[in-house]
Amino acid sequence: MSTTKSLTATKKVVIHLRATGDAPMLKQAKFKIPVMDKFAKVIDFLRRQLHRDTLFVYVNSAFSPNPDELVMDLYNNFGFDGKLVVNYACSMAWG
Amino acid sequence: MDMEAQRFLWEGAIPLQIHLHESEVTTLPSPPPALILAPRLGCLPLLASHLKPYFSSALPPGVDTIWFEYRGMPLKWYIPTGVLFDLLCAEPERPWNLTVHFRGYPGNILIPYEGEDSIKWSFINSFKEAAYIINGNCKNVMNMCQPDQVELWRSVLNGNLEAYLRVSSKLKLGAFGEMNSSSPRSRSSMGEIDVSGQVKQGRVPVRLYVWYVIEDFDDLEDAPPIDSWDKVFYINQPVEIQGEGRCFTLHDAVKSLLPDYFVEKSLGTAESLTVGGDDKQRVSSEDASDDKKAEEEVETSCDDCVNCKG
Repeated sequence: MSTTKSLTATKKVVIHLRATGDAPMLKQAKFKIPVMDKFAKVIDFLRRQLHRDTLFVYVNSAFSPNPDELVMDLYNNFGFDGKLVVNYACSMAWG
Repeated sequence: MDMEAQRFLWEGAIPLQIHLHESEVTTLPSPPPALILAPRLGCLPLLASHLKPYFSSALPPGVDTIWFEYRGMPLKWYIPTGVLFDLLCAEPERPWNLTVHFRGYPGNILIPYEGEDSIKWSFINSFKEAAYIINGNCKNVMNMCQPDQVELWRSVLNGNLEAYLRVSSKLKLGAFGEMNSSSPRSRSSMGEIDVSGQVKQGRVPVRLYVWYVIEDFDDLEDAPPIDSWDKVFYINQPVEIQGEGRCFTLHDAVKSLLPDYFVEKSLGTAESLTVGGDDKQRVSSEDASDDKKAEEEVETSCDDCVNCKG
């Protein structure tokens, strides 16, 4: 699979944001994000939308990805049914 | 043989010369730089236990949050020291000169650092991610009992390979299954197969750090310094090892991760490639010994990968 910027610049990944515990739900939970964006963008987006600095963000309710990780790699490694499931919580959910 | 390679990795260290940033020096004369040997597998803020006492008398009043900088660029605290060094110092500098700050944390560039727990969090999650890649889930890590979790983290914190192996062996993180080959292969110059003639196959979680360069240059010494994290990416793709008797090398792994940037060339030369309509150039270089990695650095998420011979 090619990872060159020129080939993948316009491709997007579907992210499904799911609230966990007492975290507020978002009006719109599904988004498309460019493949070459780093996971930090998802974290920042959630922080802004929820007006919270402290957020715990996970993939597949399993682990918290490094903010530098490309959403493309996260989708390829951990996505299913055409999307990447991202869970968010206000307190640590899966220690 | 496996243990030797693993021990070599765990014991690697970078000599550092750490200078307190001049804006934070309140004494005359200013304190001499600290000389410290930093484990390659560790993270820079873990050196705080040595550096804070060393520089504390020179610091202005206030609350400390340690952060490091190389040539004006704040260093990401969750990238292991060895990876930072290999990535940012194309021509290795020994000792590596870094600047330490205890004030003015650059929150616009670095994600928050809240002490050793931040690094532990980063490590445990990377570890879970690696387990997920190997096994399709990370239940083995999530189901660890508390004492084992503590032992795991402490073993990494202290660079204690024996303790790490004791705990990690319970986790069944073997990335490799074994398959019998039908006939023994001869030794290749790249490595060796194990005596029983078995070949190994499996998925190895890999983080390959790549530095994208626009300018042209001939020697690594002339390489422009990395002045922004926007020029650095890492690729997180597992490497599939299909054992066919020959040894699967680091070169094979990097080639599978960046297929567009490898062309046949003589060993020991660097080469620039132009991609598409852009004038951007990606530089990929390697030398025969595979000891030096220029602007590409491999961070292996799972220590089991060093079981691969070669």
